[in-house]
Amino acid sequence: MATRRRMLLKVIILGDSGVGKTSLMNQYVNRKFSNQYKATIGADFLTKEVQFEDRLFTLQIWDTAGQERFQSLGVAFYRGADCCVLVYDVNVMKSFENLNNWREEFLIQASPSDPENFPFVVLGNKVDVDGGNSRVVSEKKAKAWCASKGNIPYFETSAKEGFNVDAAFECIAKNALKNEPEEEIYLPDTIDVAGGGRQQRSTGCEC
Amino acid sequence: MHETDIHDLSDDADYAASQQQGSASIMRSDSGRQSSSSEPDGAEVVYSKDNVTIHPSQLASERISGRLKLIKQGSALFMTWIPYKGQGSNARLSEKDKNLYTIRAVPLTEVRSVRRHTPAFGWQYIIVVLSSGLAFPPLYFYNGGVKEFLATIKQHVFIVRSAEDANVFLINDFQNPLQRTLSSLELPRAVSVVSDQSVSIDVGESPLDESQESSSRNVRDGRLSTLQYNGRTRLKPQDPARDLSIHVLEKFSLVTKFARETTSQIFGETHNNGFGAIEKRRYNHQSSIDHPEKASNSAEKAPELVPVAADPLEFDEAALIWGKPRQPPLGPEEWVSFLDSEGRVTDSKALRKRIFYGGVEHILRKEVWAFLLGYHAYDSTYAEREYFSVLKKSEYETIKNQWQSISPEQAKRFTKFRERKGLIDKDVVRTDRSLPFYDGDDNPNVNILRDILLTYSFYNFDLGYCQGMSDLLSPILFVMGNEADSFWCFVSLMERLGPNFNRDQNGMHTQLFAISKLVELLDSPLHNYFKQQECLNYFFCFRWVLIQFKREFEYEKTMRLWEVLWTHYMSEHLHLYICVAILKRYRNKIMGEQMDFDTLLKFINELSGQIELDAVIRDAEALCICAGENGAASIPPGTPPSLPIDNGLLLYSQQDDEVL
Repeated sequence: MATRRRMLLKVIILGDSGVGKTSLMNQYVNRKFSNQYKATIGADFLTKEVQFEDRLFTLQIWDTAGQERFQSLGVAFYRGADCCVLVYDVNVMKSFENLNNWREEFLIQASPSDPENFPFVVLGNKVDVDGGNSRVVSEKKAKAWCASKGNIPYFETSAKEGFNVDAAFECIAKNALKNEPEEEIYLPDTIDVAGGGRQQRSTGCEC
Repeated sequence: MHETDIHDLSDDADYAASQQQGSASIMRSDSGRQSSSSEPDGAEVVYSKDNVTIHPSQLASERISGRLKLIKQGSALFMTWIPYKGQGSNARLSEKDKNLYTIRAVPLTEVRSVRRHTPAFGWQYIIVVLSSGLAFPPLYFYNGGVKEFLATIKQHVFIVRSAEDANVFLINDFQNPLQRTLSSLELPRAVSVVSDQSVSIDVGESPLDESQESSSRNVRDGRLSTLQYNGRTRLKPQDPARDLSIHVLEKFSLVTKFARETTSQIFGETHNNGFGAIEKRRYNHQSSIDHPEKASNSAEKAPELVPVAADPLEFDEAALIWGKPRQPPLGPEEWVSFLDSEGRVTDSKALRKRIFYGGVEHILRKEVWAFLLGYHAYDSTYAEREYFSVLKKSEYETIKNQWQSISPEQAKRFTKFRERKGLIDKDVVRTDRSLPFYDGDDNPNVNILRDILLTYSFYNFDLGYCQGMSDLLSPILFVMGNEADSFWCFVSLMERLGPNFNRDQNGMHTQLFAISKLVELLDSPLHNYFKQQECLNYFFCFRWVLIQFKREFEYEKTMRLWEVLWTHYMSEHLHLYICVAILKRYRNKIMGEQMDFDTLLKFINELSGQIELDAVIRDAEALCICAGENGAASIPPGTPPSLPIDNGLLLYSQQDDEVL
């Protein structure tokens, strides 16, 4: 309908198939977990109103298909993103190793104006599985990678148990907000794909 | 509800008489107002043209030729079109089919307009629109004569060229108060087709403007009152007119069977809120109610949001050729009638047609899907099929054994296999698990699903496994039951849909492109809207196309839709017309609410479970007919699910990617 929006913050969740992207989104927005989520085809998003320093924002969280074969769709879905969440499964090494691909692919496809400082957040999900005994990616290793990529904030989560999910998304929202200009902005319906004119600042998360 | 009446109009005796005696018997239809006053011998044929043809589908073999006549009866002029009987090239069409389209003495007083189409290539045709808003299918003049036809009309009734469109000729009998009311309500051409830049509507110059308000008050004050926010601009008169048309049609049965059937469809659908027009009206009202102040300005300046360019098809082609009513599914008794004593399907085309219009009962799916998918040949016998299945089972086991024999040591050194298997393992446990067939822990069917997909990824190693395949396989396994047969049916399906999963996504892009061309052809205002919103990539239809609407309908309905699509009866690409049909159903909401790409995607995703299957199949059928050869030409050759056009060696690009 009307195009004036109260600060829409667009967040994209990326990561290998089956790491729990849909579950994280639903846990955060609907406080629900289901074993019966289907593999995401194409893309979808949920929105949540969040309050931050007395201001209301709409967080638009995009859930995408995890198979790399669908990455070429990213061009349509990633544009105008304010923050990118990279998710891996702490029990699957490959999903961690792929974080770098996801990050680079995102930067290529979303082509933010300041890729060096574009806010990412990394989530190591499924820490609940088997009481942590099947874990193959250590927290230390994950944090080291995050540090090497410009101090990306890192959270360990369990979408199933709801563990750390709120904290993670709070940080995600803050980082997305930092990506926005300070003044209330007018978002036209058609976002300039080049993203010119939208200033970027900020680096890591203080939370 | 009108079924009995329908038959009254087209019983064979009457039909035969009209064939033999031409105009004379036509006047003797049934209880209509004309029959009481008309004497057969008072009729004079003032125009007659042979080889005027209807194209019910894209298939040349299904065209129906006939003779178009104008008949003068006293001061009244009537139009008839009677198909030729038993014409050789039309052998596939039953007389009943032909009868359906017969135009039996329509008084010109009931005709609102004639639209002339003179394409640069191909035959000239006309579309005759009735006062009720119904239209006849395009009449193609194989031997020319459109001009003469219009000239003849002009000699006998008042006819004016539309100010909006030089190819539209308005016919109005202003002596008839009912006719006047109807024609003043009908303003299809008053709505200008939008330019690229704007969706504003200007009806200020409509020649029928003056009588509009009074007549709408006459008709339905209550119904129309909400329209007054934005006055005439927003007047979408088709609904009251259609309501009225039902009365007209009931009282004066001098309309064709076809028109009647269409009317009963409209009427029938009013109850289940089926056809888009009803939906559209509601959405329009909502938006005008939500924003009265904005809407009230819209008469003066080009409004930003609310007005929506009229659906260009609403008043011509599609208004009449809404797809036929759906039939009950094919049942066992009828199925047997399609088979000869040894089990061959004697007329596969007739079978596919039957399934196109009604699907098949679940109990028959196991048998019938194997034909539709191309696993079994239509001309195979029971015995041959049995033998073939045995052979194919052993072939399946051989392929399956290729991955089953991979030892853990070997797997360690076979990343691609491990990853492929991992991906499949992840997906099968989240495929249709809410169905009893797949639910619960350690469900053996889930394991079969996995085995088939893994075997397929070896059978077609280049394509491998891709998300969405499990959705396509699930109903097949559910129906076939047996692992090897399911595998081969899936293989057949993937012969057509494989390109959906290509790494370069070219199969998907081709289909999305074709949808955009079809929308451009069938609803240019909507196309312009998408263009303006930078939505022409049609990614919001991605899920629809990738897995053939699997996530949009409940399981049973998905199976119904698939068997209809697999008949390839109207078109191999009916699924694309289904996309267009759904979009058109919601076009007014999409444009009225000025949905941007994100909102549109969300809206489309949330339509899941809301779409009325039978109605969209019918719309799609109608759109497919409307689009005709232009539609077919909008779809690039080789677009899935057409079989690939190359030699089969390089179907899938072989470049490696990380997973798979």
